[in-house]
Amino acid sequence: MSVCKVYTLKNGVQVRRETFGLLFYDYRGPRLYFVPTKDLIEDDFFQGRRSLAELVGDIQERQGWPTDWIEERLDQILTTLERKDLIDGQSIC
Amino acid sequence: MGNQYVEMGLTAPVNVTWEVTYGCNLTCVHCLSDSGNRRNGELTTAQARQVIDQLARLNVFQFNIGGGEPFMRQDFLDLMDYAHENGMVTCISTNGTLIDDDIAARLDRQLVYIQVSLDGATPATNDPIRGDGSFAKVIRALTCLSRRDIEVSINTVLTRLSFPELDRLVTLAADYGAKLRVSRFRPSGRGKQSWAQLNVNRGQMAEFSQWLAEHLAVSTGDSFFSVSTSERRSLGLNMCGACKLTCCISPEGHVYPCAFLQDPEFLAGKLPDKDFEEIWQQSPVFESFRGLEIKSCESCHRFDLCHGGCPAIAYHTQRKLGVPDPGCLANCVSVKPVAAEVH
Repeated sequence: MSVCKVYTLKNGVQVRRETFGLLFYDYRGPRLYFVPTKDLIEDDFFQGRRSLAELVGDIQERQGWPTDWIEERLDQILTTLERKDLIDGQSIC
Repeated sequence: MGNQYVEMGLTAPVNVTWEVTYGCNLTCVHCLSDSGNRRNGELTTAQARQVIDQLARLNVFQFNIGGGEPFMRQDFLDLMDYAHENGMVTCISTNGTLIDDDIAARLDRQLVYIQVSLDGATPATNDPIRGDGSFAKVIRALTCLSRRDIEVSINTVLTRLSFPELDRLVTLAADYGAKLRVSRFRPSGRGKQSWAQLNVNRGQMAEFSQWLAEHLAVSTGDSFFSVSTSERRSLGLNMCGACKLTCCISPEGHVYPCAFLQDPEFLAGKLPDKDFEEIWQQSPVFESFRGLEIKSCESCHRFDLCHGGCPAIAYHTQRKLGVPDPGCLANCVSVKPVAAEVH
């Protein structure tokens, strides 16, 4: 997985933080997606201002978890969100 | 649908139904809010903007706008612009009679859906319910909207009169690039008086449930979650979303669990004086509603599919909560027939 990426919401998609993680709303359905990310990702990550590498670093510093594990978990989540057409990943390298 | 996450409690509703005025130029016999004339105490423009501010701050995703007829408010389009500027999607339920090219142009390419009400595929069926000449005016509105980049649905309340015309309504909607949405009739407002005459019987409801299973493109806004078949399971809720995913704001700013439960005992607070977040999270009315259990349904084989059905219909037909929806497909025991007396 490349961590040299930023992610933004697709047109018509909104997201907000909930206790279980992230709640996505897709205007094009409309559909809701409940994503149990817990504290892993904040909703503002999808504004595209912070890279995945920075997010991994933040989580590692905050939680002390192994980087490989964090990357694997984030990869699962972000791949699913991309597959559901909720977010776009752009390489910044 | 992530029921377990909904049950954990959301920080804010996903969508809010906002009836922006009681003013309406029609007098439909089944009007849920008994609309007609504008009333004293409706929110001013400044107050309405405060309501939008409060909900936008909480990241409420969508306003479902109704009334009355929203376009009767002179400031309505300005309020919609303000909601869109704040990133909110709006879904406007309108009788369509006031929509012309100018209004359609102003709504073009906005974060908006339009639902135009039509209760039959012909004037002969629609106009006795919605008023003389209303069918022709809706067709004019659909023509104006079809020229624009706006998502449009025809919204039909399921009644004994509209039920036989559903297939024709699907075709009519397609002719104008629209979808068909079918809403459940509920005995609130003037619907109390027309309930016995217009509500479908149990056999028709069962037939309608099957029809829905065969028409997955027809939307229902979750109003038929209690009669959904397995084919539609993935399309929406399997429980009432009131106070969990949604709630309703009246033209005066009163907050209620849903548009069909606006009796004084369901008043949770008044906007904009009171903070919406506080109402959503702490109102005893909402807390009580979230804890509502339909005990007598829990042993039913359909319980996981409907959780007891629509509390509003149960309330209006039996004057209490915590009892089964009388339109239940499983023909629950201890409920009156669908066309029960309305209090």
